[in-house]
Amino acid sequence: MEEKKTRKRLQANTALRQIIVDFYAEGHRAKAEGRPVIWIPPMNGLIELFYAMGITPVFPENWAPLCAAIGTNRKNFEYAAKRGFSGDLCGYFRNNVGYALDGINEENQPLNGLPAPDFLISFGAGCIPTMKAFQVMCDHFKVPVFKADLPQVAMEKIEKRHIAYGVAQIKRLIRFLEDETGLKFDIDKLRQAVIHTNEACRLWDEIMALRSTVPSPFSAAEIGIMFVMVTRHGTEIAVNFLKDVLREVNEKVARGEGVIPHEKIRLFWDNIPLWYNMQLFNYFEKWDAVVVAETYTSAWSLRLNPDEPLESIAYKSLVSYPLVSCVSLNKRIELITRAVRDYKIDGAILHSNRSCRPISMGQMDIGRVLADELSVPSVMFDGDHMDSEKFSMAQFQTRVDALMEMILEKKRAS
Amino acid sequence: MRSSKLEDLVHRHKEIARQEKEKTGRPVFGTLCSYVPVEILHAFDILPVRLWGDGKNHERADALLPTYICPPARNIMAMGLAGHYDFLDGVIHSYTCDATCGLFNIWCRNLKPAFSFLLSPPYMNTDEAVAYCIAEFKALIAALEDYTGKQYSAERLQKSIDLYDSAREHIGAIYQANRNGATVRYLDLHQMNLALQVLPIERVVPFYDAYLSNLRMSPGKGAKHRIMISGSVVSDPDILARIEALGGDIVADDTCLGYRLVQQRVPPHEDPLSALARYYLDRPPCSSRADFPARKDYIRETISAFDVNAVIFMHQKFCEPHLADHPFLKNVLAEKGIPQVQLELEGEGLSGQIQTRLEGFFEMLEAG
Ligand code: SF4
Ligand code: SF4
Repeated sequence: MEEKKTRKRLQANTALRQIIVDFYAEGHRAKAEGRPVIWIPPMNGLIELFYAMGITPVFPENWAPLCAAIGTNRKNFEYAAKRGFSGDLCGYFRNNVGYALDGINEENQPLNGLPAPDFLISFGAGCIPTMKAFQVMCDHFKVPVFKADLPQVAMEKIEKRHIAYGVAQIKRLIRFLEDETGLKFDIDKLRQAVIHTNEACRLWDEIMALRSTVPSPFSAAEIGIMFVMVTRHGTEIAVNFLKDVLREVNEKVARGEGVIPHEKIRLFWDNIPLWYNMQLFNYFEKWDAVVVAETYTSAWSLRLNPDEPLESIAYKSLVSYPLVSCVSLNKRIELITRAVRDYKIDGAILHSNRSCRPISMGQMDIGRVLADELSVPSVMFDGDHMDSEKFSMAQFQTRVDALMEMILEKKRAS
Repeated sequence: MRSSKLEDLVHRHKEIARQEKEKTGRPVFGTLCSYVPVEILHAFDILPVRLWGDGKNHERADALLPTYICPPARNIMAMGLAGHYDFLDGVIHSYTCDATCGLFNIWCRNLKPAFSFLLSPPYMNTDEAVAYCIAEFKALIAALEDYTGKQYSAERLQKSIDLYDSAREHIGAIYQANRNGATVRYLDLHQMNLALQVLPIERVVPFYDAYLSNLRMSPGKGAKHRIMISGSVVSDPDILARIEALGGDIVADDTCLGYRLVQQRVPPHEDPLSALARYYLDRPPCSSRADFPARKDYIRETISAFDVNAVIFMHQKFCEPHLADHPFLKNVLAEKGIPQVQLELEGEGLSGQIQTRLEGFFEMLEAG
């Protein structure tokens, strides 16, 4: 039995824990010292700008998984429901709106909660739940609001006009921030931040590529390392952390050490993980299976050009939502096809995520491409990345077990 | 109903598009939202037909769409899979909500139209945004030139704009007449709004004209409850009919089809393309493209302009933009003391549950 257990997780996790604690503490420190705090939408390319200007960014979207892991999401959902928000809205929306409007007044929040914003972005961009969540917050907190505008363009269709419009919006944002905070924008600082991001993306690719090794040095259970890609782009913190991760993973590969002792099945995971149940990734171990690639983690394969820092962050902002969602369905399918080949995938798990329509739409097409063009079997299960009540372990197990049997059968036959 | 002839045409709109294509060779393009600049398509002699479901029979979509997507999107996909739209040469979408974007891409992958285009309009209405919007329109024009082999012509665009403007002007006038107590039925307005989206524009204006000239004042109307409907796309006329039968006079709307689309004209400008971009960005935005201040303005203005005294929210199940706006709009109405009710449409038309809610609401209005 002991033999079956996951080998030690990445040591980098200890450092990661500290990075998370520091990130949230930094927000509270900024607040206490009277430095500006801004709440910003997820995964956008503007984080470099805030760090370059000395403005502390807070990401409600990134905090939601923490709430789910700790369990405060349920209380936040209740608050949102009391305010009249439908249970059919995305769990991030319900958690973040419930927290921002009511939960914020409660004691004992994970990591002391979020420091209230001094500015907000009213968001015309991304998915509807994010856009609307920020609109709710703008209506609620009586703070200056910057109206952002970032049209959704399929990644493969991004042209100069889109980047130019993005740059014009960023220049407008810079003026807003300068006026509101009295801080000065310095293009060289932004350039430096872009260099850090670029380096982080390069390291990320290298780390992810090592997962194509058989046996795989780490699994989807380590997805938490993505925290630095979301919150610490534009800083050395991300770069240094990822260098350590790379070193550790390289050593594991050199020793031929897999995350499980007898790797037999290599899996691909599509859609957001179940943040309240990350142990789910260990379920596959009973079949000597390991999740070695995900759609989610592939979204960082970007390269930025420090000679054009504004264009770079405009581009990063433009691609961040389409790439993982149905906006660029063809691109996403291309990405999955490549991953299936590169990572020597035997089967795929498609999480049909009730919360997230933009990522879940197109999964039937993905399943079909996997079966017809790549001869890779897949299974779809119903779940929700934030709400455990919309997930059934029994259904998950039945479906996954059937898939595993099928893969093993296929392997025996060949 | 006096516009029953129009209703019949609307009902047969797919057949009409098919015939038009056979007869004239005009390409037919499906459109997904009211933000597609149909005037540009018309200027290329393309017939735009809005993809439109009746809100029912969407099981067939299960093969491509999850069950937690709104019924209208599932219904459109189901009809596409059943071959109801096999006459289309192209599909165009102008970005609005997540569900429609997914539907557009899944449609294109599976039904493989010869032409497809996704426009990405801006959310703001500044000079910069207008310039960007014009650039988007120009990209569409370049693709259409390529597809049709025809050259873009500003004069032709102006003619198309005039035609659509005249239709909008007529419908706008009927809303105003309704507001002032004429013998308008909202069901007729609903058909006229829909006709504007699904029928050849040349064929609809004479109906609007005739309707307008036949209007009389209706002295009894003032006593009724003056209702505004608000929410997602409404494709169930039975529900509208039930509201009327219960004594509700629907005088205003804040839905996907409706007054928002006809209240303005394309402003005069030497360059029709710029004027068109202005028009689309100036229009009161739909929930998917609006922020709360814009929603608040539109609701407040419409309520006072049409003397509305009760609001019925009609939300398609899983429709995130409207579900997210709902608590906020409820507060706006509560501040004004306007009674309201929410109907959740699950793609079954006038269900028992909806009937009960409506009856309860009208009883409350009567009592109040
Ligand atoms: S999980 Fe999906 S729907 Fe929810 S905020 Fe993220 S992209 Fe939007
Ligand atoms: S706006 Fe709502 S009803 Fe309309 S397509 Fe989008 S989700 Fe569906």
